[in-house]
Amino acid sequence: MADQSSRPGSGPIHSEFAGDPEMKELIELFLSELPQRIESINAAFRDGDAATLTRLTHQLRGASAGYGFPTLGSAAGEIEDRLRTLGKAAAPLALAKVSAEVNTLIDLCRRASAA
Amino acid sequence: MALNAAHFDDQQPIVLVIDDSPDVHRLLRARLRHEQLELRAVTNGEEGIELARAIKPAMCLLDLDMPGMDGFQVLRTLKNDVATMDIPVIVLSAMVSAQDKVTAFDLGAVDYITKPFNLTELRVRVRSALRLHRLVQMLAQRAQIDDLTGLWNRAYFDRRWTEEVSKASRHQRPLSIAMLDVDHFKSINDTYGHPAGDAVLQGVARLIQRECRTEDVACRYGGEEFALIMPDTGPPDAHNLCERIRSSIAATIWSQHPERTVTISIGIAGHARAGEISPNAWLEHADRALYAAKRAGRNTIVTAGGEPRLAKAG
Repeated sequence: MADQSSRPGSGPIHSEFAGDPEMKELIELFLSELPQRIESINAAFRDGDAATLTRLTHQLRGASAGYGFPTLGSAAGEIEDRLRTLGKAAAPLALAKVSAEVNTLIDLCRRASAA
Repeated sequence: MALNAAHFDDQQPIVLVIDDSPDVHRLLRARLRHEQLELRAVTNGEEGIELARAIKPAMCLLDLDMPGMDGFQVLRTLKNDVATMDIPVIVLSAMVSAQDKVTAFDLGAVDYITKPFNLTELRVRVRSALRLHRLVQMLAQRAQIDDLTGLWNRAYFDRRWTEEVSKASRHQRPLSIAMLDVDHFKSINDTYGHPAGDAVLQGVARLIQRECRTEDVACRYGGEEFALIMPDTGPPDAHNLCERIRSSIAATIWSQHPERTVTISIGIAGHARAGEISPNAWLEHADRALYAAKRAGRNTIVTAGGEPRLAKAG
């Protein structure tokens, strides 16, 4: 799952705050931690752990927008919203239904880059 | 009022952030770095409530959407507790629905900020909440200050004295209180008029204040009577301080009646190590000492006999 075969867009995504000196360090920190986040999201998805995936995407949704990556934020938000609508009971099924969204999110995360 | 200005200005206001996301802590820290404030951050509601009670922050930034105890529950708890109810709370949320805003305001929030933060908006809303806090504090303090003399008033004294007594007995620390009364005040009023009487009360208050140390709490108890709380001070030191006050008042020449000096009588009750004693009983010892000083001819200090009887031997 969540493989790298699907590449909907291309090219790097820059932070909206890239020109803001106050944010420079924070954006770099966020980007340096992003691979770890992708890994955790991937793992939750692989393990069929809907609760963790909901929490992680919720956090990423809030954080990405804060660092100036709203596209990442809305991609994460879409997963969170779908998982919440589908409910906890249908966890394994729910996860199958967000597989495309997870791939999109991971792709966007990989393209996120400093200025 | 100048005597209490330090209460507001000597430290930066603390802003408490309650948000489950460490990213939000980081972002707020960066965004508010140049503001005159100190940021403290916790990641859950329970911790936030506990810290708010302990440090009494100048304001809270509270995330609505947290796992476990959510922001609304935290807000309700903060507003139901006298210790935290006056802290202005701004709620934070990714998408605040109209209903959420109404609920938050109903529960006592002063404002809301949507995430991601707009830099300018965040700063002005935080500044505005801090301003509100400062004004509320100032008003509260005004209500505790005696208009005529600028000393703490009776209501403040009652509360503070109870606090100091329990603090001293808990830690077995020294504590003393003095009751000070202007001698023959009625005759000053009758002879020179009420404005002259007021000037005497203001002058006596100023002299008490001048001799006091910063930790001492000088209050107008009522009429021509003053109360002086001396934390961490045993009877001998309390006596020395009171003697300085007594002699400086007796030596003062009053512009409205240079021919007439003003004296005060003082009753002191103190413990080297405070035991279990009620604030009222303690105050009565000081009062009785004051009457003894009056009977002894005024312009005199009397200290309640040794360790007051109600104290546990310490």
